[in-house]
Amino acid sequence: MDELDLLKKDWKKQGDSFQKLSYDDIYKMIHKKSSSIVRWIFIICIGELIFWGLLNLAIPEKYLEIYEKFNLRTFINATQVLHYIVIFVFVYLFYKNHKAISVIDSTSLLMKKIINTRKTVNYYVYYNIIVYIILSFILNIIMFSKPEILIEVFNPDQIKIDSDKLYNIILIVQIVVFFIMCGFLWLYYRIIYGILLKRLNKNYKELESLDL
Amino acid sequence: MNKDLEHKFISEFQEHQNIIHKVCRIYTSNQDAHNDLFQEITIQLWKAYPKFRGDSKISTWMYRIGLNTAITLYRKSKRSIVTQDFDSVLHRIKSTDYDNTEEEQLKLMYKAIHQLSDIDKALIFLYLEDKNYKEISNTIGISEVNARVKMNRIKTRLRTILNP
Repeated sequence: MDELDLLKKDWKKQGDSFQKLSYDDIYKMIHKKSSSIVRWIFIICIGELIFWGLLNLAIPEKYLEIYEKFNLRTFINATQVLHYIVIFVFVYLFYKNHKAISVIDSTSLLMKKIINTRKTVNYYVYYNIIVYIILSFILNIIMFSKPEILIEVFNPDQIKIDSDKLYNIILIVQIVVFFIMCGFLWLYYRIIYGILLKRLNKNYKELESLDL
Repeated sequence: MNKDLEHKFISEFQEHQNIIHKVCRIYTSNQDAHNDLFQEITIQLWKAYPKFRGDSKISTWMYRIGLNTAITLYRKSKRSIVTQDFDSVLHRIKSTDYDNTEEEQLKLMYKAIHQLSDIDKALIFLYLEDKNYKEISNTIGISEVNARVKMNRIKTRLRTILNP
């Protein structure tokens, strides 16, 4: 007999060897919380949406005074309004994609939908990072183009200091903060993808390569 | 949620629970992991049940959600690492009649299946459950031709493991 037929025969007769779950066992089970990756991704994505949405509000009042001095208040306000519109669009897209995930779909479609949901939030994070980089770039150019105000703001007590030195310090601090931020983000995504999506991505690639 | 629906679900599920046990048999190699996956599939089935219209057989519906959960949704829990695996249990039971080559072959087969990729496991599972290629292609979401090609590759691979 062929080995596979042997396997099939054995497979068929194993039915009775499983431990039968009672009504109560199943009742208890369906009242437990799922720990599926869709649930985890949902929680993490909500967290990201909130984090980046609130980051704006976390700018200290003192900074706003600085922008005031540079006559940048209107500019900042306008970008914020625009920013919140974009966030709203992202939240809507995320909600729509998440709702579309259905466990009854075929395996490849299900994977595709999960990846799409995750991608929406990734784009959202990329958008935020790019906006922050562009904004700080613009603000820096404007600020450094008016050195007298810059000195006034960062050295209000008129401590005797070489202004070139002050520029350098401001610049270096900004660059260091930027790289630390990048490091954190990289680590964060390594963890998220490493833990949650590695297996899914691998399986999805396998399916995709099949249908080439 | 609706108590009647709950009752209906549990009764139907109880009757067909072997399907889920078999999915767990393919995807896990110890009892703890088996129970863990079984629970997650049960939760997913229950969550999806209100939308189950009955236009397909409940067993077909369970195959689909069972496999989708095992392949895509399930996160292996940490506590499943420390326990003894099925293969070694099987080995201990059978070690008394070593002359039985069939048992040895089956043991090797199951071991080989556990080493397959998640997708390959799904295909071999559906093959063992006597599903036709149309159903396999619908469940996994690949074309029928590709399902056939892939299946032949897996079968050959399993055969060569036994006849190197």
